[in-house]
Amino acid sequence: MIVLVILAIVVGRIMYLGTVHQRFSSAYFIRAFLESLKLGSLYALIALGYTMVYGIIRLINFAHGEVFMVGAFFTYFLFSFSPYPLFVAALWSIFIAFGFMKIIEFWRGKLNDPVVLAFGVAAFILATYLLNQTTVNFFVALAFSMLLTGVLGILIDKIAYAPLRTAPRNSLLITAIAVSFFWQNFGLLVFTNRQTPFRPDTFLRDKLVFSVGNGTVRTTMLSIAIPLISLILVVILTLFVTRTRLGKAMRASAQDAEVAQMMGISVNKVIATTFLLGSMLAAAGGAMWGLNFGSLNQPALMGILPGIKAFAAAVIGGIGSLPGAVIGALIIGFMENFMTAIFPKTADFQGITEFKDTFAFILLIIVLLIRPSGIVGEDLSEKV
Amino acid sequence: MQDTTHIVQPNRDRNILLTIAATIGVALLLWLLTSLGSIKLSSALALFAIWGIATVSLNLVNGTLGILSLGHHGFMLIGGYTTALLILSDEKRENILSSGRSAMTPFTLGLSIKNFFNAIGLTALTTDETLWLRFLVAILIGGLLAAVVGLIVGIPSLRLRGDYLAIVTFGFGEIIRLTASTRFFSPLTNGALGFSGVPIQFGKSVWWTFAFLGITIYVISKLKYSSFGRAMEGIREDEIASEAMGVNLAYHKVLGFVISSFFAGIAGGLWVSWLGGARLDSFLFTLTFFFLVALSVGGTGSITGVLLGTALVVFVRQYGDPLEQSYLITTWALAFGVILLLTALAIYIFRTLRRSRPKIIPAFYFFLGAGVLTIILALLAPSLGIMQGEFRGFGMRAIFLSILLIIIMVFRPDGMVGRAEFNWAWVFGERLDQPTEEERKQDAWLSNPELNRPGGAANTSEVEED
Repeated sequence: MIVLVILAIVVGRIMYLGTVHQRFSSAYFIRAFLESLKLGSLYALIALGYTMVYGIIRLINFAHGEVFMVGAFFTYFLFSFSPYPLFVAALWSIFIAFGFMKIIEFWRGKLNDPVVLAFGVAAFILATYLLNQTTVNFFVALAFSMLLTGVLGILIDKIAYAPLRTAPRNSLLITAIAVSFFWQNFGLLVFTNRQTPFRPDTFLRDKLVFSVGNGTVRTTMLSIAIPLISLILVVILTLFVTRTRLGKAMRASAQDAEVAQMMGISVNKVIATTFLLGSMLAAAGGAMWGLNFGSLNQPALMGILPGIKAFAAAVIGGIGSLPGAVIGALIIGFMENFMTAIFPKTADFQGITEFKDTFAFILLIIVLLIRPSGIVGEDLSEKV
Repeated sequence: MQDTTHIVQPNRDRNILLTIAATIGVALLLWLLTSLGSIKLSSALALFAIWGIATVSLNLVNGTLGILSLGHHGFMLIGGYTTALLILSDEKRENILSSGRSAMTPFTLGLSIKNFFNAIGLTALTTDETLWLRFLVAILIGGLLAAVVGLIVGIPSLRLRGDYLAIVTFGFGEIIRLTASTRFFSPLTNGALGFSGVPIQFGKSVWWTFAFLGITIYVISKLKYSSFGRAMEGIREDEIASEAMGVNLAYHKVLGFVISSFFAGIAGGLWVSWLGGARLDSFLFTLTFFFLVALSVGGTGSITGVLLGTALVVFVRQYGDPLEQSYLITTWALAFGVILLLTALAIYIFRTLRRSRPKIIPAFYFFLGAGVLTIILALLAPSLGIMQGEFRGFGMRAIFLSILLIIIMVFRPDGMVGRAEFNWAWVFGERLDQPTEEERKQDAWLSNPELNRPGGAANTSEVEED
């Protein structure tokens, strides 16, 4: 019902704008639609990390926005400074191989399994060779950065959150804020407060021009590639959560960690997996964020707004639910981009571009006040 | 150190006299410190008082009420901008009006306490000598406005619980800042330019800021030990139980939040005066983060602890600038190696004191090895020709504070003093509660001189020979 009303208002507004000025042709709106979809799928990649972590340890991982930032910078380092000297390449590769081993562990069960070790050694040698010999292309850099950021996520959990499993939730939240500040300022220390250009040599940045009606839409391949890559990652994640043993353990731990532990599930392993997957998705989001905007913002600012908007998306969709996070992210993406497109600056109206950052917060507060469980979420009210 | 204030305190008159003496002592100390003439020291003291007001008021919500509020910077912004707008001097207003880049209107620029006093005929209060009175009125209006916004924010959001509430308060804090930066509000806030030329003789003055801090501590500690404060502590411990005992949850939460916002507004007013201007980037979330560090390090819920934490944070902020200068990279590496070694030492001491087994864990070897390796590398660097050049430790203070916060949260979540408050009985080592009959018997038994004498009741088995 509400959806229909909103759709009617949007369509009516588009019709009205079409009569006002030549500029608002169908091409204008198709471009806005593509941009919104792109932004929404980027938010979805970040929001999934929030929602998975919240689902299992009931923590609003404030540092997730910074994990996203670090993932983007890892990608930047990998494609723009390779080939590395052998020592540095080996150092990178240790962590890459560790992340790879963690993933193989999903299917095998143990980390000191000979198969996992063999895969780890193979990954180490391959990664060292690639980083030492070649200028890695964007996709290899993306994959490596995802593995590195996944390992970073596990480390953050082990160092800062794991000692506080039984502590009050407020202390956990304060620790998460501290971790977030640590990474922001560490980023400032390493990169200073300037923009970092992010222009890898890849076909994704090619121009894409097609005509609709009497107008032409000028965009890049990214408008198709980003939603597509996000979709593939989300599908893989969904398959993992629904089809594998560890995925089943994740769902069980999300429902009731204590009982899951009694049933023989290693909840610590599940939590590590959650941080690994969430951080990997955030790294993918970060790399494509940089690709989309052509530069990375200064580290103290880059993670905050996307992070908090993605968190808003996770809450709107229903925190703890994977499809909810994607739906919420698309809603936030469209709110931010499509709204400003259909309320543009005209002669007698300033436009609402300035307010686009506040939309996410306002929507977040409204959803929390009216329906804290979100669109598809379960009831989270506390029991006595 | 247990909470014992519900018991009639012994030596009440002595304690009141001691408190008055201590207040005079603090005043004398401040006079002594300011008479040393160090501008840096007196501005650090004033900053301590200003942030102390903010942390003590945040503690009312975070500690006493048990709600994690992350929007304190937003309320400070409202108080600060209101004070700045109301107190701005006439020539600064003309500068803003004549500047082409400003969006402020003659109406908002006319909003000043001076014009108001002129309009109602109190021309005696518009001279330069009575600026302090106008500042007082402005800062009170700022606080009241922040309290009104606190009421508006509090009524809907305080129905939520736990981390959702934290996020909503964070959201409101950011909304306040983001909307203040839009063109819609720039007639009031002057957009990104902000105001400059706010009189600094109040915010930099130790007397003004410490007077406000004293009032804040007095009001909030009175509040904490009233029935109202008891009800708030009940809400912190168990909402459902205290509701069942007849505590009106919404009333207590909203009123606590509003009082906290009022003092945040006051702190904001003094803060713009300390800075000498109001700009949007002086009211970032970083401010609330610093307050959270102060709260957590000192002890959330204790005014004493919060002030200790504030002192630490202000010390790091004002005197930590050697950390952010540029040094040779080898120096940094050496310092890092020493820190790693110290961490290894701390692990060893910690586990020895706690009698944990195994005493030596892999992390110890890791930190030891990494520390030694880093130091060797740093010492060899000049001859190997690596790690040359200088490096500026940009943001080192915030990194230090965030690592400190993580360490405190992991190892001592109660902070330095927990929830205990300062009490004169600490100084004299007195017991505040009445011992029970059982304890009295034990004390009597233990203090029996027969026991302590060689060959007494306790050592009858081993008779010593002279």
